[in-house]
Amino acid sequence: MDSSTGAAKHTRRSFLDLLLGIGATGWLASVFYPVIRYLTPLPSAGPSGPVKLSKDQVKTLETARYVIVPVQGKRILVFQDPSQTIRALDARCTHEGCTVQYVPGESVIWCACHNGRYDLDGRVLSGPPPKPLPQYTAHQDSEGGVLVTPPVA
Amino acid sequence: MSTSSRQQGGLFGWIDARYQISPLIEFLRHKEVPIGAHPMVWYYLGGMTLFFFVVQIVTGVLLLMYYQPGEATSYESIRYIATKVPFGWLIRAIHCWSAHLMIMSLIVHMFSTMLLKAYRPPRELTWLTGFGLFSIALAFGFSGYLLPWNELSYFATSVGTDSVKSVPVLGHWMLLVMRGGEDVTINTLYRFFAGHVVILPLVCVGLISVHLLVIQRQGMAPPIHGDTGRRGMPFFPNFALRDLLLWLVCLTALAMLAVTLPYGPRLPGMEWELGSKANPLAPAYPGIKPEWYFLWIYQLLKEFPPHLFGLEGAQICLLLVSVLMGFWAVIPWLDRTAQRGRHSPGFTDLGFAVIYFLSFLTLKASDLGAAVTPNSDAETAAVAVTCAYVVFGIAAATILLRFFVYRHRWFYLSAAALIHIALHAWLGWSYLTSGALVAVVTAVVLAASGQFRVGAEAGVES
Repeated sequence: MDSSTGAAKHTRRSFLDLLLGIGATGWLASVFYPVIRYLTPLPSAGPSGPVKLSKDQVKTLETARYVIVPVQGKRILVFQDPSQTIRALDARCTHEGCTVQYVPGESVIWCACHNGRYDLDGRVLSGPPPKPLPQYTAHQDSEGGVLVTPPVA
Repeated sequence: MSTSSRQQGGLFGWIDARYQISPLIEFLRHKEVPIGAHPMVWYYLGGMTLFFFVVQIVTGVLLLMYYQPGEATSYESIRYIATKVPFGWLIRAIHCWSAHLMIMSLIVHMFSTMLLKAYRPPRELTWLTGFGLFSIALAFGFSGYLLPWNELSYFATSVGTDSVKSVPVLGHWMLLVMRGGEDVTINTLYRFFAGHVVILPLVCVGLISVHLLVIQRQGMAPPIHGDTGRRGMPFFPNFALRDLLLWLVCLTALAMLAVTLPYGPRLPGMEWELGSKANPLAPAYPGIKPEWYFLWIYQLLKEFPPHLFGLEGAQICLLLVSVLMGFWAVIPWLDRTAQRGRHSPGFTDLGFAVIYFLSFLTLKASDLGAAVTPNSDAETAAVAVTCAYVVFGIAAATILLRFFVYRHRWFYLSAAALIHIALHAWLGWSYLTSGALVAVVTAVVLAASGQFRVGAEAGVES
């Protein structure tokens, strides 16, 4: 076999290998792409804009001094601070995602999971949380209802 | 049809004529278990773990007959099983007890393999598949925990799944895929359910097959020395009958535990009282803890500050845990001395140091000695001191045993682990500062004294 035939054969073989490689990659991609898309959940759709607390939620807020309500798929802590002002913070601890609570006696927001403490503005006081809790706007309307507004993105 | 099979009559002959199983029987007849240098108890732990796994499959299938995943049904169906279905409480109690006992025997099995260097060539794949099975057992525990959809499981899963967000680039996507959304919802339960009852069992059975196949092919690891005049016990029937007897003892123990303590021993991370139904809008309550085998990671997460080296503390912590796990998985390739069939006292000592490290963190996470969940620095410090006393007690016993009975002389890593605990508990240094300091000093001392080589090389050669 002379060298030119060998080279041609080599080129032909490499070309077929390349085609096979592309085919196999394409085949794998067409199998896994739909599976990956299938497993990725759709973004949760919820009403945008201010959310009004139900009567039960307002009642809990009055008795326990705080209530956790869903706003656009997020857990929001609505509480009444010592000056009787209604305020709202994201209830998801920035450390490992547990739900925080308001401790009226100590005027702190506390996460029971890893003992993280925040002040009433959501700033970290002690413990492992790396970031402050995002603030939400809460206000009472003239009829005593409570509205929670997500921050403008 | 061969002449030999024609000679064999009955069912055996019929099967053998078609599938030629005689060589397999011949293989089993000659299979031996090495005995002599170390107690045989270590050889039973794998079989014991397998037994508990079989119990899990059987009781799991029985639970599936009534369990209904769903927002309004998960918790209710488990409560129905535990309170209304005849013997439902027993099936559930056995499933829970067996899960814990399986992980316990798996851990002891893994440490005995590590300390006796059974992972050395040619058995690296046995170790690696065993490590894979250990990871799957943890995944089983984690996914099964959410299925009752109670308060405890909800928060434990929130924390556990939140950790994946630390993975660079893919973290958030992985979190979404795991939870089926941004937060832990009933969609998370559906995914965990599919994993717990279909994906994990399939992978587990596959891995167990490989694990058992390589063990059958190579036999059990003989002791590292004393090969001269090696004795063996026939696997069948001598060893197999002993295995069977032990399984019977395990089943009896399981039944007794399930009947006397159907909701678990009520130790931290080891109880399965149903409690209240999960409410995503309720705050986490004090004293919330993961299962006992995750307590050390839970405690480590608490010890890290919010930020370290420009990253979040939790990220660094989970990176450290991943590195430690990765190191553990590739030990057969790191222990070059055991590869040559000689003793590697450094790796033996490493095994004990890991035991002290894990025990301290686990005990501290269970708030040992505290009447209520510690809330102040002073209370946490008191818990650390109590845990240090217990770990030092365990260490004293193991070190004396190793020194006098097994004639071990290499204790540098055990000493480092204990000094770390002492600095943290009695001097009140931060866990990380004392850990980093001890790690650096140990590395310097070992390098300067040439003990790195001695530790890796044979201390006692046969």
